[in-house]
Amino acid sequence: MSTATSTPTGTGRKPGGRQVTHKHSQPSKRGRVQQRWLPWAFLAPTIVGMGIFTLLPIVASVALAFFRWDIISAPTFVGFDNFAEVVQDPTVRVSFLNSIVFVIVAVALQLGLALGLAIMVQEKLPAWLRVFFRSAFFFPLILSAASVSIFMRYLFNEQFGVVNWLLSLVGIPAVPWLTTPGGSAAVVILVYVWQNFGFSFLLFVGGLASIPVETYEAASIDGATGWRKHFYVTLPLLSPTTLVASVMAIINALQVFDQPYVLTRGGPGDSTRTAVMVIFESAFQRLEFGQASAIGVILTLIIMAITAAQFRLSKRFVFYQ
Amino acid sequence: MPGTNGALRQFTRRTALTALGAGIVGATAASWPRLTAMDIPGRGDNSLSIAIMGTAADAAARQKVIDAFAKVHPEIKVKVQAIQAVDWKDFFTKILTMVAAGTPPDVVYVATEGAQLFAEKLAHPLDEYLRRDADHMKEYFEDVHPSLVEAFMYKGSLFQLPIDWNAANMYYNTASFRQAGLDRPADDWTHMDFRSTLAAMKKVKPQDFTPYYWTNRLFGGVVPWLYANDTSFLKETKSTGGEWLWDGFYANDPSRSLRSGGYQWLEPNADDPRVFESFDYLRGLVKDGLGVRPEEGGGSALIGLFASNRIGTTPAGGYWVQGLHEAGMTEDGFDVQFFPKWRTQRHQFGTAGYAIMKTAKDKDAAWEWVKFSSSKEAMQIVFPTPNTTPARRSMVNEELYAGTGPRNWKVFYETLDKFPTTGPIPAPPQQAAVETALMKNVSLAVSGDERQLKQALESMQRDLELALRRQP
Repeated sequence: MSTATSTPTGTGRKPGGRQVTHKHSQPSKRGRVQQRWLPWAFLAPTIVGMGIFTLLPIVASVALAFFRWDIISAPTFVGFDNFAEVVQDPTVRVSFLNSIVFVIVAVALQLGLALGLAIMVQEKLPAWLRVFFRSAFFFPLILSAASVSIFMRYLFNEQFGVVNWLLSLVGIPAVPWLTTPGGSAAVVILVYVWQNFGFSFLLFVGGLASIPVETYEAASIDGATGWRKHFYVTLPLLSPTTLVASVMAIINALQVFDQPYVLTRGGPGDSTRTAVMVIFESAFQRLEFGQASAIGVILTLIIMAITAAQFRLSKRFVFYQ
Repeated sequence: MPGTNGALRQFTRRTALTALGAGIVGATAASWPRLTAMDIPGRGDNSLSIAIMGTAADAAARQKVIDAFAKVHPEIKVKVQAIQAVDWKDFFTKILTMVAAGTPPDVVYVATEGAQLFAEKLAHPLDEYLRRDADHMKEYFEDVHPSLVEAFMYKGSLFQLPIDWNAANMYYNTASFRQAGLDRPADDWTHMDFRSTLAAMKKVKPQDFTPYYWTNRLFGGVVPWLYANDTSFLKETKSTGGEWLWDGFYANDPSRSLRSGGYQWLEPNADDPRVFESFDYLRGLVKDGLGVRPEEGGGSALIGLFASNRIGTTPAGGYWVQGLHEAGMTEDGFDVQFFPKWRTQRHQFGTAGYAIMKTAKDKDAAWEWVKFSSSKEAMQIVFPTPNTTPARRSMVNEELYAGTGPRNWKVFYETLDKFPTTGPIPAPPQQAAVETALMKNVSLAVSGDERQLKQALESMQRDLELALRRQP
């Protein structure tokens, strides 16, 4: 028995068994034109939007790196001078170094915390509590980084902050959190990790859920228990998720601005000044828009290089099922 | 019925698409003024667009002045645009973005921090208008101290008329003073007297009390101490010129000989031994627990902390009075004294006034606004409470401080009279970079040993050289 099928371009068979040619089997000229242009019509708003708001600024920014421009006067071409000045500027060098140290510490903490909590939540908690913690850990991410930082600034105030008050209850003297290089770096990292680990946490929760239970059962039969199971089963099978989480975390951490800007303004000294802060200061405080663009170009190249290296290394360390 | 369902589906899809299309067209039409930036105050019509730092409520509070101005100049329409910002630096950044976007306001309320940036690049000098309306403006200059006016002189031209100002005087909590058995300090108390005062308060107050709270900013931070010690972190010189103004309006002023064509800060001075000495003094206060280690920026919780008797002293200007009153401080709960003397008793002040932009559509209309805003009538409308110090001496009176305190409110204006060399915030056209160079090194300078202080000042010198390397 034949079945009635009909596709816009195919043929159909009537219930009586007589084969007929569907009236849309051969697209008309109008239909062909539609088929050709319709996808572009749907894509057009996105393409135009990305062109104007993403591609054009990128091109303009790269071009601006070769000019001296203070917003007010006409730009003047200076060749590679901006790059030369940026490389020689000790503040820029320190800020890049800070960004790299920040990425190493913050991303390691962020991924470690997210993975640990994801395993705990997935394995140890009942379903209803899992939902609660997934929301709770994600919640800080939806808050404005600036307002969180203002709030944290009060909490970590040396004289009047709640954190030092709590420490004083157990006999610990007031810690100068925001006025010493070590203290301020610690607070910036702490606030950043607290606010951002929720995203990595969700990625890991998703990754854990996709690991087949049979794999763990097989590992158990082979004698694996406790952390050995996680080390030899969970981590390898979670490696694609870890790759995505680490790429995103590194890119975000290299662009950190809000937390150090609001909490410490990059100080004391340059101890918490990051690469993006220097871009902002060069452009909007020193009115050196060309230099700011040059720093932006260098930062983009660094991000691209790190991301490429991650994907290259992933061929050796990432295990796809 | 398949046919009916199909027709319904088709009908619904078409209707939905039509509705969607109509909706997009409608929304585009409705938001056309926003999309084309025509809703920006003063754009697309002949209104005078005035930018001030503040909230929409601040803009609304200016309505009475606008109404009063409209009675004098019904032909000039005015629109005030309030721009929210953390500080003046942030405000100027936003104005610069407006300039870059091609939507600059016609008139901007600019504080000392940005006066030279605007004078150098953005503002139109007022010289021709002042010469033209000299008779009318005589009364204004008679009422305003020349130190304030000089702060807005740049290379011999005047760019703004001071409307309000504040000096870094020393506020103190009278209850804390009484508790420590301290009397009101003498007018010429020294920096060592100040230290003894702090030590006396620390002895009797609980641990969460701070005898001296200060912030790491350009105004009221380390700079008043540098001024008192007859130095600064930038070398201060004055340009020639400006005789037309001083001879025209201040010919008989006792401080006439001090006046110039405006301040210049062209070179760093952080390696001056007196700068080291001043920082070392502050380092001592921090080390002995008499003063806080200042956070960068900071100060947002200061009023609340002072009003709750947790701070003994802090440098601030007349702008603090209303805030303390609203925070619940009684008239006699606080008082104010001159900043302590060191080698001099030169104070630091900041002032603000309207600047006409070079790009203003109608500069004559803008001048009329500037002139009207400097009138006593307008200033009385703008400053009904002591949330700043009016630039006009006649307005700093008993009436303004009735019910709020401080008892010695005369200190505010007498700062200028008694110490005529009192100077403005050091703010060259590169102010934002200079401020960053100062602020980022202050905390380190005052919170370690002598070696760290030396390193911090060397770093400050380098940063300032970088900030000032391109002179306009």
